[in-house]
Amino acid sequence: MPDSETPVTDEIYPKDSTKSYALVELMPDDGPMVGKGPDNTVFSFPVVLLWEIILLLLVTLGIFLFSLVKQAPLEEIANPMITTDPAKAPWYFVGLQELLEHMHPVAAGIFIPAVLVAFLFALPYVDYSRADVGVWFASRRGRRITFGTMIYTLIVMPLYIVIDNAFPLRELLRDSVPLWIAQGLLPVAILLALVGLPLLVLWRLKATRRELLLAAFTVMLVSAFVFTMSGFFFRGPGFKLYWPWEMPNGYNPLNEL
Amino acid sequence: MSFSSRFERMTKSRVWRAFFRHGWPDNPLDRSLVMTSNIFFHLHPVKVNRKSIKWSYSFGLGIISSILFGVLIFSGVLLMFYYVPSVERAYTTMKDIQISVPLGQFTRNMHRWAAHAMVLAVILHMARVFYTGAYKLPREFNWNVGVILLLFTLGASFTGYLLPWDQLSYWAITVGTNIAGYVPGMGLQIRQMLLGGVEVGQNTLIRFYTLHVAALPVLLGLFISLHVWRVRKDGGLAASDQQEPSETANE
Ligand code: HEM
Repeated sequence: MPDSETPVTDEIYPKDSTKSYALVELMPDDGPMVGKGPDNTVFSFPVVLLWEIILLLLVTLGIFLFSLVKQAPLEEIANPMITTDPAKAPWYFVGLQELLEHMHPVAAGIFIPAVLVAFLFALPYVDYSRADVGVWFASRRGRRITFGTMIYTLIVMPLYIVIDNAFPLRELLRDSVPLWIAQGLLPVAILLALVGLPLLVLWRLKATRRELLLAAFTVMLVSAFVFTMSGFFFRGPGFKLYWPWEMPNGYNPLNEL
Repeated sequence: MSFSSRFERMTKSRVWRAFFRHGWPDNPLDRSLVMTSNIFFHLHPVKVNRKSIKWSYSFGLGIISSILFGVLIFSGVLLMFYYVPSVERAYTTMKDIQISVPLGQFTRNMHRWAAHAMVLAVILHMARVFYTGAYKLPREFNWNVGVILLLFTLGASFTGYLLPWDQLSYWAITVGTNIAGYVPGMGLQIRQMLLGGVEVGQNTLIRFYTLHVAALPVLLGLFISLHVWRVRKDGGLAASDQQEPSETANE
C-alpha cells in the first residue's frame, strides 16, 4: 500500500497518538468474538472467582451436612448364590431396567440407548442457526412447547408403563407372531409413535428446528425421568409394580442409593 | 493502626511478596494479567459478559459438577489408603473404613453422596445447556465433549458401585452388565471383556477398580480441562452472544 493513502481502518478507528497499538490476531469474520466490543462486560477478577468460591463453600457444606445425617449403605457381603430380590441397577440405569420389562433386551438395552446417545451427539448439527442462542427456551412459544410436551410425556409414559404391564404384548401375542415382532418391532413402534406424535403436530404447525428439538429433547428427558421413577420407586420384589408405600417384605427402595 | 494500613503493611511484607509477587489487582492491566498468568485462573476469560454471570442463566451447574468432581477426588484418595480390591478383602476393608478408620464412615458418605450428586448435576447441566440453546454454532464441538463427559461420569459412577462388594453392588453390576450381553453378534464377547470372565468375580473387581481410580478420573480430568478451556475459546457463555436490543424481546 502506498504511504500516501490513509488505510481505511484509520477512518473507522482513528488512532490516538498518545497510545500504542498492537494487532493481536487475524481472524475470519465469522468467529465468535468478531465485532463484539467490550460492552456490558466486567473483569473476571474478582467477580467470577468470588462466585466460584461461594459455590465451592455451598456445595461442600451441603455434602458435609448430608453425610453427617445419612450413612452410605453397606449390605451383607456379596454372595453369588443368593440373588437379592429385587436386583436393581444403580438409579441412573434403572430407567433402562424398567424399559427392559416392556421389550426385548436388544431393543431396550442396546437399540434405544444407542439412538439416544446418537441423538445427543448429532443434535447441535441439526440446529446450528445462531438465532436465540443463550435464551432460555428460545421464546415464549418455545417455553409453551417445552411445557406442553413435558405434560404430554408425564401423562403418556406412565400410561404406557401401566397398560403394557396389565396387558403385556409378550403374553397376548405369544403364539400368533414371532418374538422379534411382539417384543422388538411392536413396542419400539409404539414408543416411536408416542415420541413422534408431538413432533408431527409441531411440524404441521411449521415449528422451527429449535422448537422441534425442544420437543424431542423434552420427551427424551421427561421419559427418562418417568422410567427412572417407575423403576426406582414403583418396582418391588420380582420387579413387579407396587405403590411405594405398600412394598412387601419391608423393602425400601431408598436403601439402595 | 487502622485495618487498611495494617493490611497494606502485611501485603508489602517480604513474606507476602515472596508468595504473591503482585499486590491486589485493582486496575484493568493487573486484572487482565492475573487471569492470564496464574495457573489456576488461566482457564477463565479475562472479561465476562454481565449476562453470563447471572445465576438464573446457568445456575452454576457446570461449576458445581467440577466442584463435585474435586470433592470426589479428595474423598476418593482418602478411601484408597484403606481399600483393597480383592474379593477376599474388599468387604472387610469397607467395614474397617466404617468402623475403625477415623472419620472413615464420614469420608465414605461424602464420596457416595457426592457421586450421586455429580451424576445429577451433570444431567441438569446438560439440560440447562440444551434449553438455553448453548449447543449451537460455534459450540457444537464443546457439546460433543460434554456428551463424552456425561458418558465418562456414568462410567465412573457405575464402576465405583461394585467396589464395596456387598449384595447391593454385586447384583446391581450383574444386572447392569447383563444388558451388554445383548449386543447383537458380539454381546458375549463384550460382557466377557467387561467382567474378565463369565460372571462378576475377582477379575471384574480389579477391572472396575482400575477404571474407577485411574483411567476414568484421568480421562475426566483431561476432558473437563478441554471443556472449560473451550468455553473460553468459544467466546464465553452463550448468553453473551445475544445482541443488546433483543435483550427484552423474550421476557
Ligand atoms: C463432568 C461433566 C461436566 C463438567 C465438569 C462441565 C463443566 C462446565 C463448565 C464449568 C461450564 C461453564 C458454564 C457453566 O458452569 O454452566 C460448562 C459449559 C458448557 N457445557 Fe459443560 N460440563 C460437563 C458436562 C457437560 C455435558 C454433559 C454437556 C452437554 C452434553 C456439556 C456442554 C456444555 C456446553 C455446550 C457449555 C457452554 C455453555 C454456554 O455457552 O452457555 N457439558 N461446562
